[in-house]
Amino acid sequence: MGKFEHWHSPFEGQENLFSDALKAQPFTAQVNLRGNPDDGVFNGWVKDSLDLELPLEPNRISEGKGCKALWLGPDEWLVIGSDEGLASDLSSPPDGLHSAVTDVSANRVILELSGPHARDVLSKSCELDFHPRVFGTGMVVQTLLAKSQAIIEQVGGDRYHLYVRNSFARYVAEWLSDALLEFQ
Amino acid sequence: MLLIKCPWCGERPETEFHYGGEAHIERPENPEALSDEEWANFLFMRSNVKGLFRERWHHSNGCRRWFNVLRNTVSHDILAVYRMGEKPPVIEPAEENR
Ligand SMILES: [Zn+2]
Repeated sequence: MGKFEHWHSPFEGQENLFSDALKAQPFTAQVNLRGNPDDGVFNGWVKDSLDLELPLEPNRISEGKGCKALWLGPDEWLVIGSDEGLASDLSSPPDGLHSAVTDVSANRVILELSGPHARDVLSKSCELDFHPRVFGTGMVVQTLLAKSQAIIEQVGGDRYHLYVRNSFARYVAEWLSDALLEFQ
Repeated sequence: MLLIKCPWCGERPETEFHYGGEAHIERPENPEALSDEEWANFLFMRSNVKGLFRERWHHSNGCRRWFNVLRNTVSHDILAVYRMGEKPPVIEPAEENR
């Protein structure tokens, strides 16, 4: 029993929204991490704490042991992990290091959109181009999905994880399940 | 719809951004030494250029960084994008008349 036991999914009683193509992901630890990637002390501390090299190239992710980091900005990442102790792994930065660690686990829920029409549904809902020539596995964008702020990560060939604000989660899930109708 | 190239994220639709008005306006060193009119000029008065305009944009639904854009206010052509603190690029007259 950890600190997540009090968390309630925004989808309780809404199971009819979900299908093979659209699934809600289990609760996941999320940490917003900020710091200067040109600072060797910062990089070394992150690497020692998470066993992970932060992605420095925009719109990319990198994977470590049991966690991964999504590029959000030139000095900002979202670290994702199944272990709820994720934030405490980063709780003791070296003295004088200019950095910020914020537990944002309850901020967003993660939806998985997958299958042969996943990209068609994304294209109906978002203005960005997700064609394989410009977007692929291991890439991530922060953008608007059905006019609501979202992080979109391609986790596999036709599998996308959509990180949406908790308070918008029902709306986005309803939008996506409606967008999937024409393909069923 | 404009396509704006964020200096970090790359080309994105205008709906991901917020407009931040004229760029390169410096806050006066000694505000207390200004007359009311000079202070009001700094706070409120902006140029209304027909042609090349240097302006600030914020990638509010993306990486949330501010940056500068050099845009032709007649054609909406974006001639350059540059980060905060960088010098505005020099544009050749032929391009300016596009
Ligand atoms: Zn950006």
